[in-house]
Order: sequence, then C-alpha cells, then structure tokens
Amino acid sequence: MSTFIEAWQMVLAPDVLLAILLSAIYGLVVGSLPGLSATMATALLVPVTFYLSPIAAIATIITASAMAIFSGDIPGCLLRIPGTPASAAYTDEAYAMTRKGQPELALGICLWFSALGGVFGTLSLIIMAPLLAEFALSFSTFEYFWLAFLGLMCATVVARSSPVKAIAAMLLGLLIACVGIENPAGTPRFTFGMTDLLGGIEVIPALVGCFAVAEVMRAMSVPEPPQLARRKFGSILAGQWKLTKEYPKQQARGNVVGIIIGVLPGAGADMAAWVSYAMAKRFSKTPEKFGTGHPEGLIEAGASNNASLASGWVPSLLFGIPGDTITAIAIGVLYMKGLNPGPTLFTEKASSMYALYIIFMLGNIIMIPLGIIMIRLATFILRAKRYMIMPVIVLLCAVGSFATGNNLFLVISVAAFGCIGYLMEKNGFPVAALVLGIVMGNMVETHFITSLIKSDGSLLPFFARPVSATLAAITIGLMVWPLAVWLYKKRTQATAAAA
Amino acid sequence: MHIPNRATGIGLAVLGAAVAYGGSLLPPVPGQQVGPNVFPMVIGIGLVLCGIAIAIGIGKSFEEPEEVVASEDGAHVPADAVAPVPHAALKTIVPPLLLLFYAFTVDHLGFIPTAAVMVATTCFALGGTWRSALILALCAPPAVHLVFAKLLRVPLPPGLLPIPW
Repeated sequence: MSTFIEAWQMVLAPDVLLAILLSAIYGLVVGSLPGLSATMATALLVPVTFYLSPIAAIATIITASAMAIFSGDIPGCLLRIPGTPASAAYTDEAYAMTRKGQPELALGICLWFSALGGVFGTLSLIIMAPLLAEFALSFSTFEYFWLAFLGLMCATVVARSSPVKAIAAMLLGLLIACVGIENPAGTPRFTFGMTDLLGGIEVIPALVGCFAVAEVMRAMSVPEPPQLARRKFGSILAGQWKLTKEYPKQQARGNVVGIIIGVLPGAGADMAAWVSYAMAKRFSKTPEKFGTGHPEGLIEAGASNNASLASGWVPSLLFGIPGDTITAIAIGVLYMKGLNPGPTLFTEKASSMYALYIIFMLGNIIMIPLGIIMIRLATFILRAKRYMIMPVIVLLCAVGSFATGNNLFLVISVAAFGCIGYLMEKNGFPVAALVLGIVMGNMVETHFITSLIKSDGSLLPFFARPVSATLAAITIGLMVWPLAVWLYKKRTQATAAAA
Repeated sequence: MHIPNRATGIGLAVLGAAVAYGGSLLPPVPGQQVGPNVFPMVIGIGLVLCGIAIAIGIGKSFEEPEEVVASEDGAHVPADAVAPVPHAALKTIVPPLLLLFYAFTVDHLGFIPTAAVMVATTCFALGGTWRSALILALCAPPAVHLVFAKLLRVPLPPGLLPIPW
C-alpha cells in the first residue's frame, strides 16, 4: 500500500502533471496533422525528456502517444486521410459516416471507444505484467535470443509489404547496430577510422531521421492534401452510451484482440486496428453495411488500437523488447532514466511501475475532455498549411537530435537517416523494421553471443529447452513463409500452364 | 526515387558480401571460439540471401502500390497518377541538405541566422510565399531557441546574432 501511495505522490508532482497536460496537447495536435504520425510525435519528444525527471519523461511518452493515436482518427474521419497509420484501417468507414452527415457520431466513437480501449489495455498491463514477470525470471539467454528475434520477425510480417524486403530492412537495422565498440568483445566494428562512429549510431537520430525528415522529404514531392471545409459539430458524446450497450461483444473483442496483438513483440497499434476491423466484418451479422458508414467496425478497431498501446508495454517492460516503434522509443527513455527493463523492475522499482499504470489511466481519462476540445478546434488546426508546419519540424529535427548528445555529428546522422528512410519507403522497404533492428541489435547480439559461448559454439542448445524450441519454431516458420508462398505460386502457375 | 527490384537486390547482396567479408577480418577474442566477427557475418549472409530473393522476385506479390488522397471528396488514386509537383526531385533533397547546412555552419553563423535560413527555405520549397517564409523565419527560430536554450539548457551557439535572453 505504501508503494501505491508513493506512486501517487510521484504522479501528482507538479512537473509530472504539467508534463502530462502539455504532452497531451502536443500529441493531440501532432497526431491530427496528416503525415505526422504518433511515432514521429514521440520521437521528436525524446530530446525534451532528457531534461525531465524519470516519471515526467515516461508520462510525456505515454500521454503523447495515446493522444496521437486517437487524434489520428480526426483527419481520417473528416478528410479521409489517416493522421497516423493506426487509423488507416477504418478511415474509409469513418469518412463514410461523415458523408452521411454523422461526423459527430464517428468522431465520438473514435474518442469514446479509444479511451475505453486504453483503460482496458492498462488493466491488462496491470494484471499481466507481474504474472509474466515471474515466468520470465526462469528465461535463459536462449529464450531471450529467440524472443527478441521473434519480435523482429513479427515486425517484418505485419509490415504490409514484401516480407523479404522487411527482413532485409531488419537486417540493415541490425547491421547499423553493429557499428561501434558496443559489442560483447569491445572491438571497433565498421567505424572506418571515424571517432564519431566509435560510440555506435544513436537510436534517436535514426528515429527522427526515418520518421520525421523522411516525411518532410515525402511532403516535398506530393501535392498538398485537400483543405478541410469549416464545419460546426453537435454533441460529440451523444449516443455513445447507447452504442456501448448495443455493441458490447464488438467492443470486448476489439479490446482483447488489441491486448493480444500489443503483447506480441514487434506488432503494434496499426496491426491491431487492421485485424480488429477485419474480424468485426467477418463476425458481423450485417457485413454488407461495412464501408457505408456503419459503427460496428469503427468501435472494434478504435478500441483495439488504443488497447494495444498499453499492452505493448508488457514485452517492453519485461524483456526490453519493444511491442512497436513507439515502445521502441520508450525503451530508450527507460534506459536513459535508470528504469532498465527486465522482470526485476517490478520488485526493485515497484512504485515507478505503479506510477506508470496511474499515468496510463489518467492519460486515457483526460483524453475524453481534451479530445472533445481538439475535435471542436480541428477545423482550425487542420487548415494549417503544410508550408507553415514542416519548416518547424525540420528545425526541431536538427535541434532535437543535437540536444541528445550536444554533438553536431548527430545532425548529420539525422540527414543520412532521412535519406535512407525516404529511399526505403519509396522502394517498399518498411522503415519500422529497420528501426526495430537498430533498437534491438545490441540485445539480440548479446544474447546470441552469450548463448553461443555457453554452448561452446554448438547450435543444438538453442532448440533444447521447450520454450526456446517453441519460439525458434515460430521464428523460423515466419522466416521461410515468404519462400513457401513463392514456391507454391510458382507451382500453381506451372500446373496451370501445363493444363 | 524508384529503383528496380533487381538493382536493389543486387545492391543488397553486394553489401551483404562486403559485410560478411569485413566481419570475417575482425580479430577474435583470445581463448574464445565466438568473437565480434560472428554477428556481422550472420547479418552479411542474411543480406546476401535477401538480396538474391528480392532480385528474383520472391515476396513481390505482397507489395501494394502507394496511394495518395487527391481530391476534396477524399478519393484515393495511385501515387503515379497524381500531377507531379514541379522540381520534385530537387525539392526532396532540400531537408537533408538543410540539416547538413545546419551541422556545418551553425557554429560560425550562430543558431538564429542558420535556423532562419532553414525555416525560410523549407517554407519556400513547399510552396509558401515569400511573406509567409519571412514571417516564419522571424518567429520560429527565437521560439525554438527559447524552449531549447533557455528552458532545456541546450548550448545553442550564439554566433553572429546572440539572443538577449
């Protein structure tokens, strides 16, 4: 009980409350602007968290990401442009409701069920994390290696692009993580004699470059999206309680699917929304109404993406394996603030963990009033011209990356990663897989090398323990899957040609 | 900038081979079978395999064409079908070039003038008028300076134009 009271004291500190409020506003505004994703909002916040207390830093990341995920629904609903990739699954449905003259209802569903999904996701985090922590204590380096590798492979499967390209992107990320002396032997690798590369390539410039600079570069080559017409909204929450009672199954299923996908390492809110929307349609009694402005899919997918956000913290806190790109950033912040992820975090830093739960709850509760204000202001904010926002983002990329290490080489890294991210995206290589590779590179290598040393260079012990064998089977299955699909297609084509 | 799959595949395979070779040259740890060379070699071999797979078209069936929103009614069209932005290729490299400009000149010019040039150039490249570029160049750098230098205590160089606070 004293730990719980201590946690409340931590959260109620003025700097933490201020951080929550400001990051909520920031998340809502950035998430709502088309092209500026929740990941980008979070990545640009990291330099600021350097200067905050540990709890305020974590609060900033949690609140901003939750708000940005909800806020991404606003342009999706009003303009048919998803503000964040997590909203893309049901953008057409929400826009169809707007065209039917029900924008308030669509936005209300997004807000209300996002908040409820977030609360359920947090509850799952509270219940699951300590239970799994006990289980995780029995893991050896073999399990950790496969778990980390499985996380990377999941990221390649959910990428909605060629899995081979996703695996290549992930390997490039691992290669980037190899640079420097941060390896088990402390040998400089791929530094080409440059002292700036000795310490390795920092994750934050890579994130800022791949998500923010690459987006500005993309904005340069595509025409400005259409402008939002001015409109006045009626009551946002009217009818939501009725919908909650009308669709309890969909809501519960959305929450559960979101939680499960969030817990999977490597898969996050985007995937949760796609799967939930597809499930809602599959199990609906009226599937023909989907796509015409029907609330069912919106409820399920809207709840799902926010639920996955909180449960995505389970693998991050327990194993240091990110659930998605946002938690990948959060892990960096956790390490920076001395809250090193691992099963012992729940015993050694219990009050900080409770504080984290409280922040999640608070974040999802204040989402409702702040979200209503945001929706009402959306017609003004979404009218902001791209040429007034993007220049500030370029400047923040430069200053923010410099601030993480007071080193101008970091700004050069941001520029390089901007180009890499842009080129990769243009050619169908998922950037998220690259980033996860960079974030998890050191961890995967450490567990891989430690396991190999333990096994005297033999690969058999990697498959000897039941949990590691199961994880290995899933991981290898995911790896050979694209090859199997290719071979199958070739065979069917050959049979068809012969016939 | 779209590069054919065959070219990216071959490029990746060559990179993978170079990484595996570079990794194999790394010195081993005395008395241990496994050293810093193993991981880069595994990655290198993986990249070679992926490169070959991409070059011969494995996994191509999973790719989806890029779409953009083109009109006010929210209609999505393939990215290739949209009228191209004039000088798009040139404009695309503006953000990284500006970041390099920042890295190499900020110590000499100072934060405010460098930031003003960056902001105004990006604004102009995105189709902003000279007036909006000028307004942004006058307002954004001092605001960012206030947050980062004053509140977060990041040492931004004063250069030619020190800020009074």
